[in-house]
Amino acid sequence: MAASLSSSGCARLMTALARSSVLYNSFESRSLHVTAVCCKNQAARIRIGKGDKPLTYEQAHHPHQIAHRKGWLSQHTSNLKGVEGAAERTVEDVFIRRFMFGTFHGCLANEVVIKRRGNMLVVCALMLQKLPPQKFYFLIGYSESLLSHFYKCPVKLDIQTLRDKAVYKYL
Amino acid sequence: MASLTRNVFLFLGRTNVSGLGIKEITNRVTYATALFANSTSGNKGLPDRGGRGSVGRRPRREPGEPRTEKMPLDQDWTSVYPSATSFKSNAVPLPVRMGYPVKRGVPPEKKGNLELLKIPNFLHLTPAAIKKHCEALKPFCTEWPSALDTDAKCDEHFPIKVESTDYVCAGPSVRNPSARIVHLKVKLSRFNLDDHARKKMLKLVGERYCKDSDILSITTDSCPLRQQNYEYAKYLLTVLYHESWKIEAWEAEKTAADMEEYSWEDSLSQKNMLDTLLRMKVAGEGEDAEVRKQLLEREDVQDYKDSVVRLKNEGASESSMLQYKEAVRKVFNV
Repeated sequence: MAASLSSSGCARLMTALARSSVLYNSFESRSLHVTAVCCKNQAARIRIGKGDKPLTYEQAHHPHQIAHRKGWLSQHTSNLKGVEGAAERTVEDVFIRRFMFGTFHGCLANEVVIKRRGNMLVVCALMLQKLPPQKFYFLIGYSESLLSHFYKCPVKLDIQTLRDKAVYKYL
Repeated sequence: MASLTRNVFLFLGRTNVSGLGIKEITNRVTYATALFANSTSGNKGLPDRGGRGSVGRRPRREPGEPRTEKMPLDQDWTSVYPSATSFKSNAVPLPVRMGYPVKRGVPPEKKGNLELLKIPNFLHLTPAAIKKHCEALKPFCTEWPSALDTDAKCDEHFPIKVESTDYVCAGPSVRNPSARIVHLKVKLSRFNLDDHARKKMLKLVGERYCKDSDILSITTDSCPLRQQNYEYAKYLLTVLYHESWKIEAWEAEKTAADMEEYSWEDSLSQKNMLDTLLRMKVAGEGEDAEVRKQLLEREDVQDYKDSVVRLKNEGASESSMLQYKEAVRKVFNV
């Protein structure tokens, strides 16, 4: 920012400072340029296109349809009154989703559903049949043991495989 | 189409080689056969797909038919869903549909339906499964003692009731700080207390006593463990009982303001009443003390006493005010 100021401008500022002996406040009188705000929601929304994009039920419904037409992807009791640990559960959920996306790369047909039954973490996912079953078994076992050791609680993976994604509509 | 062309190449190879030496012939032949083997072992025979596949790639296995097709009608459902698992569309033979339908359409089917996965299902808790659970739990249960068949009998034999709560939540930790709270409830009528002891106990206990149900409830949560809180509650009960029986020296200084109930004897109201009556009656009927005693034993004075005591103890209500009015009328013959 300092480099963009011309040398003469700098000199003028410095002289002004020296003359008026004002405190550092005068340096911060730089204007802020704002454009008009576009009041548009864009979270988790896929906009209408040509009609060739296949969408799943999850992608086709916007977030305001949660509790109307969509359920919740993650369930735990920490959001009830008087129960603690909501933030920790949310961070765990985020990590588990990224982990599943990376471990089963390209195989996930839909979002990962996370359930907690007491101490146990149940991760339910729908997969495409891209890998041979032996590889799937290995990846499932690997994920389960790694996540159990990481979170110090039993982690179970409930995987179901499909031939291809279940298309709800085309946008 | 692809296999035909491959065959043609083979023949071409053979004819070309006829003029050359033996080594070349064998080389050419092996090359041709290798190519032949490669082309048929590819994926569905699509030439562009086959370019990606490596040598010796196994053919893709067809997924078998779903389990629902092979389920007999009288199968044991408890072995299909023995414990809580997510909804498996090819293990549940019901034609379930879930979701908001597309325009001029139907809700999406169960295959690949994430909404059915999200919700908790109770397929593992059919009546048959619950019966099995009960049968399995029966050897661990004992009979309720037959002598304790009414609530009154339970109260009589077990007057002290201790209550504490356990908390379960979905998370790796079992600990909940609210689990240390202990409530101890007991009826005061079960205690051997005389008048003074009862009054002292009520004063010591204060808010923890409920007059309507005669239950003293002690709640302890000052210790970090439930065991400690329980023992502290028992200790408190013991101490209260013993302390209420003791008579300290300073208790003799109890004034009228400390009294729990209003007593008419030696009160301002009694004095006023007697003075008024004496003034009403003809003076000089005998000794003062004698006259007072006689007056006190009169029925209307007794009624007045009852009404005043009731007013002071129970407060001003419709019936108590009426009673007071009647009593006053009777005394003054109004």
